[in-house]
Amino acid sequence: MTDTDKQETQLPQEQLASAISTEVIIELSKMNKWYADFHVLKDIDLVVHKGERIVVCGPSGSGKSTLIRCINHLEKHQEGSIVVDGITLDQNLKHIDHIRTEVGMVFQSFNLFPHLTIMENLTLGPIWVRKLPKAEAHANAMKYLERVKIPEQADKYPGQLSGGQQQRVAIARSLCMNPKIMLFDEPTSALDPEMIKEVLEVMVELADTGMTMIVVTHEMGFAKTIADRVIFMDEGDIVEENEPNEFFNNPQHERTKLFLSQIL
Amino acid sequence: MGIVKSEKTPARAAPLSETTIIGWMSKNLFSSWFNAILTIVTLYIIYITVKDLWIWGISDAVWVAENRRECFSISIDGACWAGVITWMDNIFYGRYPREELWRINLGLILLIVWMAPLWLPRVKAKVLIGVTTVFLYPFLAGYLFAGGDKGIFMQVMISAAIVCLIGNTLHSIIGVTSGSSLDDFLLRKLGKQDAPEKSQHRILLGILLASFVVVYLWQMSWSVEGVSWTKWGGLFLTLVISGIGIASALPGGIILALGRRSRLPVIRVLSTAFIELFRSVPLITVLFMATTMFPLFMPEGFVLNKLVQVIIAVCLFNACYMAEIVRGGLQSVPRGQAEGAHTIGLGYWGTMGLIIMPQALKHMIPNIVGNSIGLLKDTTLVSIIGLFDILGMLRSISRDTPWLGLHKEPLIFGAILFFLICFAMSKYSRHLETKLSTDHKK
Repeated sequence: MTDTDKQETQLPQEQLASAISTEVIIELSKMNKWYADFHVLKDIDLVVHKGERIVVCGPSGSGKSTLIRCINHLEKHQEGSIVVDGITLDQNLKHIDHIRTEVGMVFQSFNLFPHLTIMENLTLGPIWVRKLPKAEAHANAMKYLERVKIPEQADKYPGQLSGGQQQRVAIARSLCMNPKIMLFDEPTSALDPEMIKEVLEVMVELADTGMTMIVVTHEMGFAKTIADRVIFMDEGDIVEENEPNEFFNNPQHERTKLFLSQIL
Repeated sequence: MGIVKSEKTPARAAPLSETTIIGWMSKNLFSSWFNAILTIVTLYIIYITVKDLWIWGISDAVWVAENRRECFSISIDGACWAGVITWMDNIFYGRYPREELWRINLGLILLIVWMAPLWLPRVKAKVLIGVTTVFLYPFLAGYLFAGGDKGIFMQVMISAAIVCLIGNTLHSIIGVTSGSSLDDFLLRKLGKQDAPEKSQHRILLGILLASFVVVYLWQMSWSVEGVSWTKWGGLFLTLVISGIGIASALPGGIILALGRRSRLPVIRVLSTAFIELFRSVPLITVLFMATTMFPLFMPEGFVLNKLVQVIIAVCLFNACYMAEIVRGGLQSVPRGQAEGAHTIGLGYWGTMGLIIMPQALKHMIPNIVGNSIGLLKDTTLVSIIGLFDILGMLRSISRDTPWLGLHKEPLIFGAILFFLICFAMSKYSRHLETKLSTDHKK
C-alpha cells in the first residue's frame, strides 16, 4: 500500500463531542528509559486528561511504542515518574496489577490466545481478575462483540478469523475489562487495506464514547478525525505536540515537516 | 496491453497417480526398468525373511510342552513358546501371591475407570480428572498392591481417592448422558440451581465432606493382606515404576522449569544445578547411588525399601529431563501471549496457568511422550540392581530347570510386548496432537 492510499482511507467524518475534562489521568514527568546502553526515551513529560484522545506518530525507532508500553509497565522505565489514575508506577506488584486492570491495550500482532475460543478470550479477564460470575461475564462479552460487529464468531478460535476480525476481538477483549484508558500500539499495521477500515471504524466509535485513548499509528486520516492532540516523536524525544489541524497544516519543527512531507 | 479474463477457470480432478493405488505404484515403484527390478528384488528379500520367521515362530513352533527337551523332540527348528506360556503369570505379575492377583487386576481396572472419562466426549472438567489421576489414584492403587496396615495418612488419602473415584464416575455418566456436570446435577436435584453461588458452594462442600466421612468410616474396617515389595515383579513392576515416573515427571518438570526461568537468583541457580546434575549422570548411576550409596549416608537402622529408593531416583531423574522439555515448550510460546495476558490484568500464575502453560504443553506432547517411552524402556535397568521387573523375569526363564537355556523366545516375547506398548503410546500422542491443534485449523 502506498502512502497516498493510506490517506484516502475513508472514515466517517463526524464531529466528535469534546468530552475532555480537566482531570489528569496519566502524568509522565522526566521519564527516561534505556535498553541496555541505548537511550530510548529521554526526559519525557506528558500529561493526559480524562477523555482525551492522543495520537502518537513518528519514524520507526523513535520510541513511540516503548512510550505507551511503559504506561502499563510492559516495559520498565529507569528514571522519572509515571502516575496513572492516581497511582504511581513503582516496583510494587499490586500497583502494577491494579494499573493493568484499568489500562487496556491493543497490539499490532493482536496477541489473542489461540487455544481459547473468542468467547473465552473475552471472558478470561473478567472471570479470573474481576471475579465476575460466568453468566455476567458472558453477557458482557456478547455486548462488546456486538459493538465490534462480530457476535457470530463467539465460538470460533482466533486462528479461524481474519486479521481485521482478530483485531476487533482484541479491542473487545480489552473493553471487557472495563478499562479507563485504552492504549493502541500500531493496531492496523499488520492488516490489509480492507481490514484497516473496519478496525478504524470500531476505534472511531470507541472514541465517540469518551474513552481516554493513546494511539500509536501511521493512519494520518484517522489522526485527523479523532485526535485531540497529536504527538510527534523522534529519537526518544517528543519533538512536537499540537492539536491536529495545526499539526498537519502548520508544523513547526524541521523534523516534523520532513516526516509529514514524506508520508502525506 | 491489458488482459482481462472473462471466465473463471473451472477446477479439475487430480491426476490418477495422486489418487489411486495403481497410479501410486506405477509412479513410485515401477517408474523405470531399474526401479522395477529393484522393487522385485526387495520384495523377494522380504519374502525370504518373513518366510523363515514364520516357519520358526509360527508354523513349526511348539506351543504346549512340559519342558525344553519335549520342545526339541516335537520340533527341533521351531520356537519353544511353551516356556513363555508356562511363565506367563510370572512375566506379568512376578512372584506376587497367586491368590492375590485380583488386586493388581482391580488396580488396573480402577485406573481405566478413572481415566476413561478423559476420552469420553461431553464430559466436563477433564483437567481436574487428569490431576486427580496423578495425585489420588496412586494412593489407592499403592495400598491395593502393598496392603497391610494403613496409617492415618493413608486412610485419609484412600478415602479421598475413593470419594473422588465415585464422584468421577457419576460425573462422567451424567456427562455422557446429559452433557451436564455432577455439581449441576446435584444442585438441580436439590432444587438449588438458582441459589447464589456462595450457598451453592457451601452445599457442594457439605456433600463432599459427608461422603468423605461415610467412605472413611467404611474403609476403616477394610484391609488387604500385606504383600512385600520383594514379591512384586514382571510387567506389573515395570509399569508401577515407569507409571509413577511418568506421572510425577510432568509436575516435577514444570516446577523445575519455572524455577530455572525464575527471576529470583537463588531459585534459578538451585533449579539449574539440580537439573544439570541429574542430566549429566546416567540413570544406572543414579539407581546405584539411590540403592547402595544413599543408605550409607543415613543414620544406623534407617531402612528404606529398595523399591521406594528406585522409584524416587527414577522420578527425580525423569523430572530433570522433563524440565528441559517444559523449558523448550515455554520458550516456543511467543512473548506477546504473556503481554496480552498482562494487559487484561493476569498476574504471574494466572498468565502461566491459563495462557502460557496450556499452549506450551501442546507443543511439548511429542517430546513428553518420547520421554515417557524412553523411561518405560529405561526402567528395565532396575533388573541390574536386583529387582525382578519384566526383563528380570524373562531372563530367569532360562535359569528355570525345565526351561534351562531358553533365551531367545522370552526376549523376543518381551520385545513384542514393549513394541506394542510403546507404539500405542506414540500413536496416541500423534492423535492428541491433531486433536489439540486449534491454532492451525482454518
